[in-house]
Amino acid sequence: MANIIANEVLEEEDTQKDNFLTFTLDSEVYGIEIKYVMEIIGMQSISKVPDLPEYVKGIINLRGKIIPVMDVRIKFNKEPKEYNDRTSTIIVEMNDIFVGLIIDSVSEVIIIPESEIVAPPEFSVNKNKYICGIGKTGEGVILLVNCNKLLNEEETNALDNAGDKLL
Amino acid sequence: MAKVLIIDDASFIRCTLKAMLERNGYEVAGEAVDGIDGILKYKQCSPDIVTMDISMPKMNGLDSLKEIIKYDPNAKIIMLSAMGQELMVKNAVINGAKTFIVKPFKEEMLMKTLTKVLSV
Amino acid sequence: MSQNDPMLESYIFEETQLTDQLENLILQNENSNNYSSEVINEIFRIMHTIKGSSAMMLFNNISTLAHSVEDLFYFIREQKPKDVDFSSLSDLILESVDFIKVELQKIKSGDNADGICDEIIEENKNFLLKLKGENAYKAVIFFEDDCEMENLRAYSVVKNFDELANEIYYIPEDIIEDDDTGKIIKEHGFQLFVKINKSYEEIEKILNQTILLKEFTLTHLDSYEEFEQARKQNKPTLTENPIEKFQIEKKENVRIENIPTAQNIISVNVHKLDQLMDLVGEMVIAEAMVLQNPDLNGLKLDNFENSASQLHKVTSELQDLVMSIRMVPISNTFQKMHRIVRDMSKQLNKEVQLKLIGEDTEVDKNVIEHISDPLMHLVRNSIDHGIELPAERENNGKNKIGVVTIEAKNSGNDVTVSVEDDGQGLNKEKILKKAKKNGILKKSPEEMTDKEIYNLVFMPGFSTNENVTEFSGRGVGMDVVVKNIEAIGGSVSISSVEGKGSTTTIKIPLTLAIIDGMNIKVGDTYFTIPLTVIRESFRLIEMDSIININGNEMVMVRGECYPIIRIHEFYGLDTKITDFKDGIFIMIEKDEKYICIFVDELLGQQEVVVKSIPNYIKNIGTIRAITGCTLLGDGNISLILDAGWLISTVNISN
Repeated sequence: MANIIANEVLEEEDTQKDNFLTFTLDSEVYGIEIKYVMEIIGMQSISKVPDLPEYVKGIINLRGKIIPVMDVRIKFNKEPKEYNDRTSTIIVEMNDIFVGLIIDSVSEVIIIPESEIVAPPEFSVNKNKYICGIGKTGEGVILLVNCNKLLNEEETNALDNAGDKLL
Repeated sequence: MAKVLIIDDASFIRCTLKAMLERNGYEVAGEAVDGIDGILKYKQCSPDIVTMDISMPKMNGLDSLKEIIKYDPNAKIIMLSAMGQELMVKNAVINGAKTFIVKPFKEEMLMKTLTKVLSV
Repeated sequence: MSQNDPMLESYIFEETQLTDQLENLILQNENSNNYSSEVINEIFRIMHTIKGSSAMMLFNNISTLAHSVEDLFYFIREQKPKDVDFSSLSDLILESVDFIKVELQKIKSGDNADGICDEIIEENKNFLLKLKGENAYKAVIFFEDDCEMENLRAYSVVKNFDELANEIYYIPEDIIEDDDTGKIIKEHGFQLFVKINKSYEEIEKILNQTILLKEFTLTHLDSYEEFEQARKQNKPTLTENPIEKFQIEKKENVRIENIPTAQNIISVNVHKLDQLMDLVGEMVIAEAMVLQNPDLNGLKLDNFENSASQLHKVTSELQDLVMSIRMVPISNTFQKMHRIVRDMSKQLNKEVQLKLIGEDTEVDKNVIEHISDPLMHLVRNSIDHGIELPAERENNGKNKIGVVTIEAKNSGNDVTVSVEDDGQGLNKEKILKKAKKNGILKKSPEEMTDKEIYNLVFMPGFSTNENVTEFSGRGVGMDVVVKNIEAIGGSVSISSVEGKGSTTTIKIPLTLAIIDGMNIKVGDTYFTIPLTVIRESFRLIEMDSIININGNEMVMVRGECYPIIRIHEFYGLDTKITDFKDGIFIMIEKDEKYICIFVDELLGQQEVVVKSIPNYIKNIGTIRAITGCTLLGDGNISLILDAGWLISTVNISN
């Protein structure tokens, strides 16, 4: 019985495996695996929370659930932009960790087969450590985001930041 | 004085056995010449112990053994076998023979065996 | 995945109940040094059920283990042997119980129940054999030279034992089929292994009846190891396995029995309760959003207000009721302590009696889970470090049996659980010495009150390896206990009289989810302070009340000086209200330490539903003095302040 269930789940994941939700920051297009995306919402009022890194803007109330939001531009070391009506928040979830990603605008869901994905270049001036691959499509390249790193790398960062913050 | 029944088709063997037994204080209660005779004589003289040859005319030692045991489950029967009769001996033991001696045997061995079998 | 399998959940529930039942049974009865026939039958019944259910769920290790205990008790029940060593038997059963418990934990967490219990099963079997009076022997037999067909003679020997022995194995094995074995026997002898209810002399006698026997050696085997080795090399004997003295029921009756209960109780899935709790919390928020809706500001609506009042009444009652459903008496956790006291006193050769007061105090189910481990730790501490050895106690004029008392009681919003022992108490010098040695002594000893000295034992780093025994503090000590308690909003304190004993008290909030709070604002950020820590709030009348000592701002209230924390400064928040005269002071207290915090404005009291800080933010780990968040009536999110944290940042010196 357990085996059947496991297989079904695997199949489900499989069918979503090559699906990516794409979004833009400036002229760059990024992609994130659809299996981590819970929903996409417009901008909501953010309650500020002290003692957090600059890229964590605060927390929002999503139908009673409290979710922290991250400005991806800041996280990726870009110049922050003022939010407009196109700015969206992608709510992602991984291992019971929920985060809202504030990005310039959402594009679409596309399929990028594994064969069309290459590893990011080793040496690059603006090396973004959250990119785990580059997907090639008819219209150009998509920078694939490593969701795990994005949501969990905080621990190492935290130790650095903590030193600064606490007196 | 323990009573022994000798079942063997060779008179030479019956003779030798008788001499050995009487030398050692045993009484030879009877002698039988084949399997069927053996059963008869067993019923007649009710020996304490039996020496049974394996290959005999009319009925062999194994079948005789089976019949005697059927008649008297407590019968103490010692098989005397020649070399090369392992299978029969095995069967005999499985079917109730107390033990066996292989010919040619030493008198001492026979006596030890008889003593043991009778003492149980 | 396993969470959703109702059959598995049912199994886990049933087996947990049964093992608890069994454990309690043993603990209650072992002192009487005899098990009544009802008890024996019950133990048999429980193991029988566990065997069957586990077999059905394919947990074969548990099933086999239960089977070995079942066999043991079947024999005891049927044959009623005399001189049973019930003390050892109790230990044995508890070993099996422990194993099963561990496996159940694994199953619960979705791991494999892959524990190996061969040793315990062997012990159970051996105990049974000893009861049966069964012995194991090894004989090596040599036949007379030239007697021929030694293998056949060996067969006769085997036949002699066949009727009498419980188990027979021999080497070489195929004496009937293979004539070459005769040679082996001639050279090395015929090895015979038997398990039999006969004495050494009796076996000797039987062997001496072997016909044409030259010589033999006979050994009484103490362990069944050699026997097992022989068994592994053998298949069972010629005939069917010899007569067993009794037959065990062959039917695998695996109907899961209903545990009889005294009251009308049903078991409810905890997840459903959690959902219910969450919904009620949402309802409280929704109600607040309606009743405190900004649209209503300034409107006089008599009818509406009457209805609102009624609504509030009903929702409050519903809230209370739901909370009470989640409340379980603490007795279950208390009962576990019996086992700990028993095991520890045995191991340490101390005599300890456990007293329980307030067992039916009810506590939220969530809280129980967080209290269990700390409580066990405290009890272990008491027995390990507190209670003295019987001789020492008598020398000091104490009763040689030490007493550990666990008491639980409700006090308003909190539940207090205390562990008291009449042992040697805390030695201030020893504590100070140790604290100094481990570098955690921050103040000079003269300036410390007794309470502060005792509280040193809670500091991380207090326990070092030397002090670690098998039972208490694996080098982490009390500070872990404290952390766990504080994680659920509680506190730990300790008091002691040297030579007489110590008492450790745990205070925990009654429920985790809903608290009475005071909402405040600083800049754009909302905070909520639990009402329980607020002593008073006030506006500053005169600036004279403010004193500055070495850069530390303090405020005078009725002749007493209190340190000030400017919340906007503490958190780096932008606000227009920075002048003391423009804002509000709130005096808060924790563990008899008082400070005043300075905020922009008071927004009002509210019953708030506590939601935990999002995992993502928790993982970042940089937030100070916040224990959770809550949704306000107007939809805003408020951060719940941790008074203790705030207070600890201030160096209080009188």
